[in-house]
Amino acid sequence: MVRYLRFIGGYLSANMQAAMEYRAGFWSQVVSMMLNDGLWLTFWFFYFNHYRVIRGWVVTDVIVLWAVATCGFGIATGVFGRAPRLAALITSGGLDSYLTLPKNVLLHVLVSATIASAWGDMLFGLLAFLVLIRPSPEHALLFLLLVLLIAVIFTAFLVLLGSLAFWLGNSEGLAQQLMGALISFSTYPTPVFHGAVKLLLFTVIPAGFISYFPVELLREFRWPLLAGLLAFTLGIASLAWLVFYRGLRRYESGNRLGGQMA
Amino acid sequence: MTSQLSVARPARAGRGGLRAFGKYWAIFRMSVASSLAYITEIVFRALLLVALMVIFVQLWETTYSAQPGTRLGDFTLRDIIWYLAIVEMLATSVPALNRRIDGEVRSGDLAYLLGRPCSYVFYQYAHYLGERVVRLAMAGLVAALLALVFVGPPPFSLWGLLAGPLVVFLSISIDFVALFAIGLLAFWTEETESFALIYSRLVLVLGGVLLPLELFPEPLGTIARALPFAALLYGPARTIVKFDLGHFGALLAQQGLTLLVLSLVVAGVYRLAVRRVNINGG
Repeated sequence: MVRYLRFIGGYLSANMQAAMEYRAGFWSQVVSMMLNDGLWLTFWFFYFNHYRVIRGWVVTDVIVLWAVATCGFGIATGVFGRAPRLAALITSGGLDSYLTLPKNVLLHVLVSATIASAWGDMLFGLLAFLVLIRPSPEHALLFLLLVLLIAVIFTAFLVLLGSLAFWLGNSEGLAQQLMGALISFSTYPTPVFHGAVKLLLFTVIPAGFISYFPVELLREFRWPLLAGLLAFTLGIASLAWLVFYRGLRRYESGNRLGGQMA
Repeated sequence: MTSQLSVARPARAGRGGLRAFGKYWAIFRMSVASSLAYITEIVFRALLLVALMVIFVQLWETTYSAQPGTRLGDFTLRDIIWYLAIVEMLATSVPALNRRIDGEVRSGDLAYLLGRPCSYVFYQYAHYLGERVVRLAMAGLVAALLALVFVGPPPFSLWGLLAGPLVVFLSISIDFVALFAIGLLAFWTEETESFALIYSRLVLVLGGVLLPLELFPEPLGTIARALPFAALLYGPARTIVKFDLGHFGALLAQQGLTLLVLSLVVAGVYRLAVRRVNINGG
């Protein structure tokens, strides 16, 4: 476990050094993503300024939801920055250079890039939680745990979508749109949804686990809720792992020559 | 051996107005055909639109049902869902024009395009219109079908339908000028995606996609309605859904002024940018 953490840390450091080669570009992406998230939150401030309560949710619940979702998504795409491009990598034969490396293929692929704007999401989530919610130390610790679990859910979902390329061929567009759907559903209060959509959000598009569970846990901690979230996280991560390696058996080499600089 | 040639100004369009129009019409048609060739990508994009429409429909259904008797300005639930269908159609049909310009500037392809017997700006405009028309048609179809299923037939008046194409055309033309300017920033900045992201989010919030401007607290609502972003989405969608002659006249003036001012600014930026183009050959 420690070896894997050191491995991820090493890659992260190399990725950051590469990103910092274009320092102005990196920071402009970080700042613009923070502004982007801030504009979305402004929308919710306006909404709750008008309606105050919607099915039991108040503005602080939406701040928590945005803090957890942005921070979790930031970690997922900042640390595992290749996950959103997995489908393209598979269809272009880009996995070739990872297959001969000593560490496990999936982890190696995922950590081999970072996305600059993800760090803006991460910073925004942290700042929103610390400045607007002003949590107690216990809440801050719980927030960190929840953010890590949400990051795993986002990453696993990206791996599942990317792995579709093993069976469907070029499915990058489909993966992007489904991920867009997950992000969109995850950033709206769960009580807004009803009927079949609600069922969808706790099954096919797991937005309910990203939005409902963290807000409920930070509002009122309950062990069964945390256990449920942990079980789902473990389940989706295992499924992603299984689907990727099952798909890898179908992978056809692109006969590409490539090197991994780290 | 290389020789260096500084290009001071862009190549001019042909003198004959009709001939020039024919050229750009051909580029427009080529762009439509090219977009249709990648129809699966457009269909995939529609998936996200379905998700967004479902979210908005459920959000406003819940809002209206949780607070009976509530009204959004003079919008009923049916009005607001059709309003959202139009703004979503416009907002999700924007091509990545800034990325294309940025790529052409960085790769040097711009230098070759400047040498063609047509204006680079109008070439890009015709190309953009072709792409946008296909995306608008697909997004419009999906959004209209969903709105029809959720809240029934549209509340449009005949005047709203007649005014719609004009205000939508002016809206997408303003979008073109803004995205073109963002793409040109590649001459001076390391990357332009962050500017495009901020622009699109300002359009989403101040253009009334997430929330109709009636819901903004005052004086922010008045300020937002006066800003150019309102002329892009809120103005056209409101004109189609709830046509009002006074509002329509004010919108045309706002769109015309925005387009004029932005075009003048972009013309200045373009002139400066093209002076920086160096063609190396040998």
